[in-house]
Amino acid sequence: MEEDAQPQKSFRNLIDPGAGFGAFVGKLGDALVKAIDRPLGYAVNWGRMFSLWPVHLETGCCSVELGATSSPRYDLERYGVLEAFGSLRQCDLIIVLGTVNRKMAPRLRLVYDQMPEPKYVIAMGACAITGGLYFDSYNVLPGVGNVLPADVYVPGCPPRPETLIQGIMLLQEKIKRDQLKYV
Amino acid sequence: MSGKMSSASDNNAYNKDDNGSLDVNKTSASAQLHSGSFHVEQLEDRDRYMTLSIGPQHPGSGHMRIIIVVDGDIIVSADPDVGYVHRGEEKMSEYRTFLQNVPHIERPVIHDSSNILYSYCLAVEELIGLQVPERAMYLRVLLAEIDRIQYTLYWLAILGIFMGHSTMFMWATADRELFVDLADMASGNRITHAYIVPGGVRNDLPDGFADKAVKFLDYFERKRLPEYDKIFYDNPLFRQRSEGVGLLSKADAINLGVTGSVLRASGVNYDVRKDEPYDIYNQFDFEVPIAKTGDSFARSILPMYDIRQGINIIRQCLTKMPQSGQIRAKLQPNPRGPPGEAYSRVESGRGALGHYIVSDGTPKPYRHKMSVPSVRNLSAMPHLLKGAKLADLPVIYWSLNIWPVEIER
Repeated sequence: MEEDAQPQKSFRNLIDPGAGFGAFVGKLGDALVKAIDRPLGYAVNWGRMFSLWPVHLETGCCSVELGATSSPRYDLERYGVLEAFGSLRQCDLIIVLGTVNRKMAPRLRLVYDQMPEPKYVIAMGACAITGGLYFDSYNVLPGVGNVLPADVYVPGCPPRPETLIQGIMLLQEKIKRDQLKYV
Repeated sequence: MSGKMSSASDNNAYNKDDNGSLDVNKTSASAQLHSGSFHVEQLEDRDRYMTLSIGPQHPGSGHMRIIIVVDGDIIVSADPDVGYVHRGEEKMSEYRTFLQNVPHIERPVIHDSSNILYSYCLAVEELIGLQVPERAMYLRVLLAEIDRIQYTLYWLAILGIFMGHSTMFMWATADRELFVDLADMASGNRITHAYIVPGGVRNDLPDGFADKAVKFLDYFERKRLPEYDKIFYDNPLFRQRSEGVGLLSKADAINLGVTGSVLRASGVNYDVRKDEPYDIYNQFDFEVPIAKTGDSFARSILPMYDIRQGINIIRQCLTKMPQSGQIRAKLQPNPRGPPGEAYSRVESGRGALGHYIVSDGTPKPYRHKMSVPSVRNLSAMPHLLKGAKLADLPVIYWSLNIWPVEIER
């Protein structure tokens, strides 16, 4: 738990003076960290951005367009996104497919909490962004923002497959520029 | 009640089945007793049973959860738990006008949006007293049949992928794009068209629609549909998993209230388009396919024959349609009718879909009730799953032609 409390983990934190790395503390150590951190981070992020596996959790009707995006015409798999029918513990992406209502929200959070780090969230459709058409419904949350931290918002009701693909490419761009996280 | 209801009782489908009479006593006991949960903790030998939750995060569950009690491999009880997509559409209707209601009413089944809207518009027109122009009627039928086909192809794709048949998913979703393109061309959006509106349709067809439609239909009917039979329906693996699985007898089908292809697969000849024709469906020449076995295979293959009839109707529609004319009746800014009620019913991709609207004379509905076919087909699921093997759950569940978002509205 104490380790989790550290604000930003970096390769630097791994270098412990008491553990035999003492020679690398100081200017030489900084140079070494810089030399390793960036290429290593680039390689790991490159691997992550082309193997996004979404959880199979359908919260609303945008799942039809996700199905269409997985179809041969749009072929989401060429971006490395493969609908994983296995365990959510192997997934790193959750696409919130539309409306999130009061019964679904705790389950959505539970699924998100079980996923391993690093994990990314795409809010798909107007309902997942602000509640959309159902802004005044008694059972629908005004967007997924209070439940999950969304990385990318994909607008539309429902978004066309091209829009979803653009959202995924934006997420890949974000992952590429991300600092390497050691978890 | 409306005139459509009285014609229903005259031409009752249940009176005209082949055997002539209906023996309600043949209903199995589980069809009557399936409702209510199975309380394992009250049983003596409760260690035998295991309770499983299929969903909502499960590849085979859709948007809902099925609570299942298994004894080894055999399902003892299945209890569908819905409400994960409940959005209160019926309540929302009460504070929107008849025209403002159009976009959100098609959201429960976004890939069969024309049919759910068709039924709503028929009810509103009856309430307000609108006369729909003839060309608009043909355009409505055109979009309704295109949507029925693309809905069925999506359903087939989902059935295929949950049977472990990835090729069927790929082929059906790829061919579905042809019909999505046609609907996109006519209405401007891929799946939520809002094309059918009270009084007619929203806009006219673009140039070249008929040529493109005929080209697509020829390609799909001659080249693709026979391939589906070869790779999926004649596949011995699929036949072994579906034939004789999930038997629903004719009496059970009627008593449980299922509709659409599930009802026709059990041998009941009932199609709203034939039995209570709405708009101009009585001018088309088409057949209602029926199967008598009532197993999962019959329920899986019947929608493909519905697709063939849909293609037939689209072809007739394109030739019979008046080439020009008005497409929408004139409407007041906030259309309203006298106080009263209206019920209308159409045959959607899943079965009979009705809207019941009560008006108190204002431009907004006083009460709006959607009677959706997925709920009716879902009511047969606990009965069918009881005693089935756990491995048969996907084929029984998805052959029931359910779209879970529609259940909850």
